Amino acid sequence: MVFSSIPFLYYFLPVALVLYFAAPKQFKNMILFLASLFFYAWGEPLNVIWMLLSILVGFCSGWMIEQHMGNGQAKLLLVLSIVIHVGFLVYFKCATVLPIGISFYTFQILSYEIDVYQGRVPAQRNLIRLGVYVAMFPQLIAGPIVRYADIDRALSERTHSVENFALGIRWFVIGLSKKILLANVLGRLCDIFLTSDDKSVLYYWLFGIAYSLQIYFDFSGYSDMTIGLGRILGFHLPENFNYPYIARSVTEFWRRWHISLGFWLRDYVYIPLGGNRVSKKRWVFNIFVVWILTGLWHGVAWNFIIWGLLFAVLLMLEKRWLLKYLEKSRILSHCYVLLSIIVSFVIFYGTNMSDLRNCLGGMIGLNRLPLISKEFLYYLRSYGVILLIGMIGTTPLIKILTGRLAQNSFGKRAVTILEPIVLIGLMLLNTAYLVDSSFNPFLYFRF
Amino acid sequence: MWTRTKNRVVAGVMILFFLTMSLCTWLKKPDAFSGSERRVLAQFPKLSAERIATGKFMEEFESYSLDQFPMRDTLRSLKAFFTFSVFRQRDNEGIYLAEDYACKLEYPLQEAALDRAAERFTYVYEKYLEDTDSKVYFSIIPDKNFFLAERNGYPAIDYELLINRMKSKTDFMTYIDITDVLSLQDYYRTDTHWRQERILPVAEKLAAQMGTELTGDYVVKTLEQPFYGVYYGQAALPISPDELCYLTNETLESCVVYDYQNEKTGIVYDWEKAYGSDPYEMFLSGPLPLLTIENPNADTDRELILFRDSFGSSIAPLLVSGYAKITLVDIRYLHPDLLERYVEFDGQDVLFLYSTLVLNHSETMK
Repeated sequence: MVFSSIPFLYYFLPVALVLYFAAPKQFKNMILFLASLFFYAWGEPLNVIWMLLSILVGFCSGWMIEQHMGNGQAKLLLVLSIVIHVGFLVYFKCATVLPIGISFYTFQILSYEIDVYQGRVPAQRNLIRLGVYVAMFPQLIAGPIVRYADIDRALSERTHSVENFALGIRWFVIGLSKKILLANVLGRLCDIFLTSDDKSVLYYWLFGIAYSLQIYFDFSGYSDMTIGLGRILGFHLPENFNYPYIARSVTEFWRRWHISLGFWLRDYVYIPLGGNRVSKKRWVFNIFVVWILTGLWHGVAWNFIIWGLLFAVLLMLEKRWLLKYLEKSRILSHCYVLLSIIVSFVIFYGTNMSDLRNCLGGMIGLNRLPLISKEFLYYLRSYGVILLIGMIGTTPLIKILTGRLAQNSFGKRAVTILEPIVLIGLMLLNTAYLVDSSFNPFLYFRF
Repeated sequence: MWTRTKNRVVAGVMILFFLTMSLCTWLKKPDAFSGSERRVLAQFPKLSAERIATGKFMEEFESYSLDQFPMRDTLRSLKAFFTFSVFRQRDNEGIYLAEDYACKLEYPLQEAALDRAAERFTYVYEKYLEDTDSKVYFSIIPDKNFFLAERNGYPAIDYELLINRMKSKTDFMTYIDITDVLSLQDYYRTDTHWRQERILPVAEKLAAQMGTELTGDYVVKTLEQPFYGVYYGQAALPISPDELCYLTNETLESCVVYDYQNEKTGIVYDWEKAYGSDPYEMFLSGPLPLLTIENPNADTDRELILFRDSFGSSIAPLLVSGYAKITLVDIRYLHPDLLERYVEFDGQDVLFLYSTLVLNHSETMK
């Protein structure tokens, strides 16, 4: 089930929340776990078995690792468990049918097992609590990847309040609007471009920009919805995006984009490999390992590996040489980052090497295409306002303006009155777009 | 304090919103048909263990929840309004409004589709007509974009290229150009088709080129109910409806129509369809593979075989006075190989009359 669907919004969510809040404290986790299984099984009725199996393996291995803590068997158990989980993941990544959210829940289980092995957290004695950690419906499908240590306590002890509910629903509606009103509409433009017979060099660039915006609003919108729903249920999930497109270097971009994946790979791969406190050669090796894994996490395909390697090269160039030049010019640094992002997402889009060649070739005019075409001009005009709104939406401008408005008593009153009206207006619009359109895939479901 | 109040207001209002919307969604009685979208709506899917395991139930439930959502038409209008007025998009799912007309983008030119259409026509010609005395004619009906698109800044296909390509690929037929006797006003504002009461000059030109003369005057009659064309529902905007007029006279009223598919004899104008979901189908009962119109009052024994699409339904009655019998063939619904079972080709006039919309999407032709 996807968040941006009528069955989720007006059937599943109200029922799940009513049952959750009506249930006594000791049954809340059970309700949440069962609701999450229903949520997952709605889209993938049979693949729910793989998830349950992964949870069971995680639960048993966590418990056994703790039992053998301090001796070689714990390490062996951890390695064995990692091989099983990663084996599942690699198998499905290579298979034609990829269970939804497998990359996310696999990384979460690995996080739990490694945290137990490193003694950061005690092994979970309650299977349902571990099940909630792995399968909790708000973050099951597209993250953020929550480290076990971060919500260990909330699994057994969490509070619910009107404030949390209000904050959560606000976050959810904004995320849903990013997805439906911006990502889906921009996705339509990308779709039109891909089937167009009237391509031109600038049309390729329009596609690159639209796709970069689409993927941002799609993924960050989903993360916002996740954080919002988590907050309603009493969980404080970490933010996954922090205006990545305003970054002034690729290094900074990755501190702002898919933060939870970056942290996960840093904590569980890069640092255990020695991080940067090693020889230059070893450091280069560590960087490449992390970025190849980042690429492979998105899919076993050459375009994802190239995408990861591009970032590895850019990050090393920045560290060694480029950063000091970027710091000198604000305009130059933004242009460099945006250009790198657009090119990287065009690589990311390519479903095969031929797509990749066509797209990159098209952008630099190698495909004997005209600079502009009739269709490019039409769609530039037709999507101009959305592209502009999208570009503004990638900056903290609106957040700053509303923050300033709420600084005096008049502004506070205005925000109090306007906020529920805006939220309801957005919900009506989201519903209208859903009812009228069938174009609604979440891009990050692929991972 | 304001923050606390604001949070309470937001929480209260949003809980109320979700509960109200959910209750309305669950309690709404399902509709069977959407008049504005002219389609049957999805109903609650059949429940079984197998359908759940394969995901079929969920898939159909998704369609059901969208189709049966309360105030669906109002919400679709809200989306269309937002698309045009706030996002300033030039079209909504391909439908645009210009000069008070609703129209669907038709772009780009599908050269492969044109070649396929020409290949299908050639196949019919070589199989049935090549060795007969039939005179074979061809005419292309421009769609509304021909008049509207370019001058309003919408991408338009190169109509000259389309016509020339079709002409060059079907040089065994005599081409009749009707673009000079058509204008935008000859089409419905909310529908894709042309208005029967305005295309008499087209019929006269076709008849003259085929060497026959149309006789008699017509009385213009108008359906009592407003006509909401196909783009009305797709645009989902409050556009004023069209009037649906039809031409009639004694000759037309005496004509006998035979529908081969349903083995049914009837008349030119189908009154049941006139008050159905698509009133344009009143002209010869809408999309049917094979029909004949026999004119008992004809002064001639000439016959016409009209290969046509839906535009042909409203112009065929206007050609009746020049022929004793008109056979209408729609090769989108009838494979040409089956024609020999029903039609004897022995020197009739033959006209291929197709709109640019069908030619540019000829994958629908058998």
